[in-house]
Amino acid sequence: MTRKEILDELKKVIAPYTTNKEMLDSINDQTDLIKDLKINSANLVDIIIDAEAKYQIEIDYDSADKMINVGTCIDVISEKISQKNEEYR
Amino acid sequence: MRSTGNDIVSLNAINKTRTKQSGFYSKILSPTEKNLYHESGFAKMPFETFVWLLWSLKESAFKYLQRINPELIFSPIKFAVNHLQLPAGNKIKNFEIKQTEGVGFKNMDIFKGKIIFGSDILYSISIINPEYIVSIVNGTENFENIGWGIKLIKNSDPNYQSIAVREFLIDKLKTVLQFDNLVIGKNQQGIPIVLKEGSEEETLPVSLSHHHFLVAYSYNFAV
Repeated sequence: MTRKEILDELKKVIAPYTTNKEMLDSINDQTDLIKDLKINSANLVDIIIDAEAKYQIEIDYDSADKMINVGTCIDVISEKISQKNEEYR
Repeated sequence: MRSTGNDIVSLNAINKTRTKQSGFYSKILSPTEKNLYHESGFAKMPFETFVWLLWSLKESAFKYLQRINPELIFSPIKFAVNHLQLPAGNKIKNFEIKQTEGVGFKNMDIFKGKIIFGSDILYSISIINPEYIVSIVNGTENFENIGWGIKLIKNSDPNYQSIAVREFLIDKLKTVLQFDNLVIGKNQQGIPIVLKEGSEEETLPVSLSHHHFLVAYSYNFAV
């Protein structure tokens, strides 16, 4: 998956947890989940669980810690998808 | 350095079914912490409430330490709750009033906890009722100088929450500090600070939190 494809899917993962729908349409790598999208920290675990289900990956603690903005979310998801694909080879 | 950290969880806003799934709670609780539920007499409490109690302790501890170390990243599993004590009375009351405030927690039914992060040892007090969990973290076991407040608000929009919690705290601080011209700003790291208008000098550390239709604050005016 390209970063653009991951971003498009990530928007759907994040959507239920933000009321800032306008910003969601124009997010970029620097968009902060809490500060910009106003996601309550209590929903961060939901986003990780939903991302795991959506991409069929497992996000370990250290990787979850990095998921602060949209760019780092895509980095982690992209890395986990690659690891999964390596395992299947 | 003085600090304070707080967190509020609206129990009407959590997904109870999801919280009870191991895929969810194991992102927050370590196996040792999960055992606390069975070992420390918490089994009468719904498990989802226990999970969010621990979340609130970890988040409050993070907010306490983030003021001292602004680079800190919140990683729930790395904040270890190693002691948790039920209130002596264990009378859980409904939140029948729209707001409640106090300084210290004398004669209240509170949960006491201890949280370890690396070499830091922090102490916590939590108030639980059917509507919410509020936790406050301090660097010592003495909470006499900790002011706190909890308020039900009309709108759960993040901008409304943010304005409501600031007004709630400022109203209280005007009487506590006896200054009329207080404002709540943010420092360079985005951590809330209380300032006298026109001055850059921080007056006291405060912590703000909101979830759904609830907001809460804590401040520490220990010398």
